[in-house]
Amino acid sequence: MAYRKLPSGVQDILPEECFLLNEIQNKLRRHFSVCGFDPVLPSSLEYYDTYSEIKNRIPQERMFKFTDSDGRILVLRPDTTLAISRIAATKLGCARARLCYFADKWDMQNAGGLFSREIYQAGVECLGEEGVFSDAQAVAFAIECLRAVGVKNFILDIGHVGYFKGILKECGLNDADAETVRRCINSKDAVHAEKLLRKRGVSGETLNRVLALPALFGGAEIFERAYALTDNCEARAAVDYLRKLNALLSDMGYAEELRFDLGTVKRLSYYSGIVFSALVNEVGAPVLSGGRYDNLAADFGKHIPAVGFAIGLKRIMIALERQGGFSAVSKVGVIICDEGAEGKAYRLFSELTGRGERVRLSASTGRAAIAAERVNAEKIYYVTKDGVETL
Amino acid sequence: MIHFALSKGRLAKESAVLLKSCGVDTSVLEQDTRELVLKSRDGKYGFFLVKPSDVPTYVEAGVADLGIVGKDTLLEEEKDLYEMLDLRLGECKLCIAGDPTRKDALTNPHLRVATKYVNTAKRVFAERGEEIEVIALHGSIELAPVTGLADLIFDVVQTGSTLKANGLAVLEEVYTGITARLVVNKVSLKTQAAEILPLIDKLREVVG
Repeated sequence: MAYRKLPSGVQDILPEECFLLNEIQNKLRRHFSVCGFDPVLPSSLEYYDTYSEIKNRIPQERMFKFTDSDGRILVLRPDTTLAISRIAATKLGCARARLCYFADKWDMQNAGGLFSREIYQAGVECLGEEGVFSDAQAVAFAIECLRAVGVKNFILDIGHVGYFKGILKECGLNDADAETVRRCINSKDAVHAEKLLRKRGVSGETLNRVLALPALFGGAEIFERAYALTDNCEARAAVDYLRKLNALLSDMGYAEELRFDLGTVKRLSYYSGIVFSALVNEVGAPVLSGGRYDNLAADFGKHIPAVGFAIGLKRIMIALERQGGFSAVSKVGVIICDEGAEGKAYRLFSELTGRGERVRLSASTGRAAIAAERVNAEKIYYVTKDGVETL
Repeated sequence: MIHFALSKGRLAKESAVLLKSCGVDTSVLEQDTRELVLKSRDGKYGFFLVKPSDVPTYVEAGVADLGIVGKDTLLEEEKDLYEMLDLRLGECKLCIAGDPTRKDALTNPHLRVATKYVNTAKRVFAERGEEIEVIALHGSIELAPVTGLADLIFDVVQTGSTLKANGLAVLEEVYTGITARLVVNKVSLKTQAAEILPLIDKLREVVG
């Protein structure tokens, strides 16, 4: 009976959990809308070539693939930011847009648990804008989104890819080696990074700078250290930028939540400026993640600077559940009627639901139905020819 | 509470000694017990004793904040976590080994390689553009070339005495300096920095 089961790494979301998911989505939807974001819903199916032939391509082994009726290869959307970039570059007439979405993405390699193969996301993309005020707004909005859904005690960990890029440029590595070093630094593995760099003839100050990267994280106090470490223009510009961002965010009322990490160099190579993720102690992986990607839309034929982030809804659910902000399915009222009083019961149902009360009309009639309906019911309306009893 | 995932066996014992010298109350690890979750007497630390290859999984998911595990396992599991420190315990090398008298063992176009590091072996040979057939084993890897099950093995080598006893030799050292590493969950390092960072600093002092 294998066909009754699900493949690994995916799951059905049952009513209790789905109720919470909907609540989170509703809160975010309201928040997105109030803050001026316009909704967009990208298609789930796209051509494989869209993602395999661009500069910032998605690894083949991570995409779910199908063959179309004409023989071309399709994929299940592997990345929503790429999809929205494609839409912005090819379909939106205006120079700027603030878009929001509720869309899944799929990653074939994930195993399940925190790393599901079907990833429920909500996110925003601010397209056609640049500068530190734009980035500050994106970070502030990320914080407000987490507050809106009720997540507590989170921190925003902010990095800047320019710092790593600047320091790495001085090593003069080829792309493959640079990628290996990036992977090492991103996992704070100075041991392996050192081995590779020495093998490639990198030594002295240049080497020390790269090896110092994993320790460059903490509060705003790291800026001084980061600045003094290098005289590379790009790296120093990145530190200056983060300083400005920090000052701006403090002025906007956000200081407590901010942390910085100049050793964060994410896998997705499309980030071009700040990168950030939101961390909650109760969940072992980021609940929100984003950054600036000024050169991504160019892959689809147009230059559109942009910043955005995605919220992992499953991880938000886990955070809320573990923090105790988990609200189970809300109770529902049940209307039961005597045989012959169906019309009257239906009119009561219409009246109550019209007022916004959560109520269900039982398909069973007679007092015998009460016991069975009582289980999940907040209250029971019993309708007879003579009137309505509330039980 | 800070949770540790430790590799069951000798490494757990060595890890306990190391942690103790950094002021962690590890007395609970010294007793003989079948319990899988151990809490330090001062209530500050929890310890999970798990199979070495499971340590990265526990740490990546954040169930354990920190873990101590060999670099060989980290290479094989490829989890998303921080490798904060080289603890310099249990040093060995990941090597390609085989019968030294066989001349075609590294150039044969269709090599059968026995290993318990399936992912790493595939990656290593793929990077050289060589096609191999991996034979996944769980122990006594040296038996494979001796019995003709495989042409080569890809395994950790500490002293090389097992290889020698079976007429095998290291043909190539692929990764040297395979030692135990302190790994940290990517969220815990930031959200529990006040507890974790001083501990890392102390460990760094001790291992030098």
